[in-house]
Amino acid sequence: MRAARLIAAAIFLLGAVAPATAQRALTVAPLVSLAEHRVDAGFGVERSLGPILGAVGTLRLGPGLAVAVRALGGSLFGANGVLDRDVGELGVEGSVVTGPWLSLQAGATRRAYGTRLGRQTWTTVDIGAVARVAFAGGTIHGVGRAALLPVVSVTGLPDPGVAFRAATGLEYGIRAATLGVEYSLERYDFPIDQGVRRVEQLAALTLRLGLRLR
Amino acid sequence: MRRLVWAVVLAVGAAPALAAQGSTAELLGQAHQFYERLEVERALPLLRQIVSPNWPFEVTPDQRVDAYKYLGACLALAGKRDSAVLYFRAAIERDPFTDLDPSLFTPAQLATFDEARRHTLAVAVRPIQAARVDPRTTRVSFTVVATHAALVDVKLSAIGAGSPLVLFQGTMDGVREVAWDGLLANRRLAPPGRYTLAVAGRSRVTGAADSARVYFDLRHEIAQLEDTLPDLDPRVLLPERISAEAARRDVAAGLGVAAAALLIAGAANADLGGSERGGADVVAATAAVTGVVAFLAHRRQGAIPQNVTANARHRAQRDSTNVAIRGRNADRIAATALLVSPAAGEGAGP
Repeated sequence: MRAARLIAAAIFLLGAVAPATAQRALTVAPLVSLAEHRVDAGFGVERSLGPILGAVGTLRLGPGLAVAVRALGGSLFGANGVLDRDVGELGVEGSVVTGPWLSLQAGATRRAYGTRLGRQTWTTVDIGAVARVAFAGGTIHGVGRAALLPVVSVTGLPDPGVAFRAATGLEYGIRAATLGVEYSLERYDFPIDQGVRRVEQLAALTLRLGLRLR
Repeated sequence: MRRLVWAVVLAVGAAPALAAQGSTAELLGQAHQFYERLEVERALPLLRQIVSPNWPFEVTPDQRVDAYKYLGACLALAGKRDSAVLYFRAAIERDPFTDLDPSLFTPAQLATFDEARRHTLAVAVRPIQAARVDPRTTRVSFTVVATHAALVDVKLSAIGAGSPLVLFQGTMDGVREVAWDGLLANRRLAPPGRYTLAVAGRSRVTGAADSARVYFDLRHEIAQLEDTLPDLDPRVLLPERISAEAARRDVAAGLGVAAAALLIAGAANADLGGSERGGADVVAATAAVTGVVAFLAHRRQGAIPQNVTANARHRAQRDSTNVAIRGRNADRIAATALLVSPAAGEGAGP
């Protein structure tokens, strides 16, 4: 509930500050990821790996302001007796450029894991920054992202004490398209419960093709 | 009280001059009345008083010319033709534009006046009036006169510059309008400055010569011109070639991204197995290779095509803007109007 309020506030804020007359540009980026999920709940590391498909739509509202919506889905296949799981995710994100190479981001994500035994939903709110370093004369950008997740709500589990996301990669500009490759990692450290410390992480290698539509 | 005293002093000071003007004009008016009533014998003494060196009051040039003219007219009526010619000549010498109105004077008077003109060569230019002239549609007009048939040169020249422009050269007798299109001998609009119009004449009857000269100032009336855009500041333009330093930075950036990928994978995976970091390795390798390739490519080529294009667009935009500005300025210059005003002597000009 708290997360939903934060998402609504963020969207309202973005809508309010977007100048009405600004030039708008829409970019759609289909993506494919190879994701690896690891969890240690006191019984050893459980690992599952699989492809995720999805897309990100980004609407540029002004010279330094953008809103992005993300939708992903895929399957992660467990190794060594670990249950297979399906994963789906919806996310919204706003960003504002604060300098020639730095922009700030805030977003919210709703993710669901489903196994044959049950379903678990994750709701997160993240606040972070993106650094973009141009090289090769601006044709290529090195991208680094870092975000803290101050709000993480997981069904059936206490809120993690530490949660963050980090990513790095490259973006190649080819005319109106952008080809990106990125390594990302999410990490959740849950508080010790009955002597057990639960740690989860989701790492992904993502290939993304951004197409500017207008 | 002090103001009153000053007013009285000023009034007393100004009174003699006004009275002098009044006396000459009054006497001239009385002479005209006598002449109109054909009381020539009463008019003559009054007119002689006015032209006498002993006349104590101020006489303007026009009054003096008028007095000589009526003296000649009176004497012509009295049958004293030689004396009439002398007075008419005196009037003509002082103002070559002097003429007799055929509707007011008798044929004998007109014939006597013509004889006086034949004996006197004088050339003159009528005083220049302030005027605004659009050289595309109108001309600057000068009125010159030669009292009888004479070979006349009318030349216009800028004070202290260049050779004169001949506006008229030929025989003339009487008044003539000479037009000037505002251009000099090089067919360019005359620049602002002080000019002189010189008239020189040689009689075709007596061989006598005379000359006259007037001065005038010429100014240009032109709409405010626009400044063209200055040359593009190199700091505004994007770099078109990658420097060696930038190429080295590309390597550093690629290695930085690679290191970040490995750092993220290594740090986070440590307590969760740590062996699986293929994704990070892929990104790290890609970044490192990209940095090196960019470095090598820049060393060989170095151009930044999108910056070259952007700068060319920027330059073309500036050039087209300047072409438009020059066009508008040319239109304004073409619409330059000339402002002519009388001047006295050879001065610095406006």
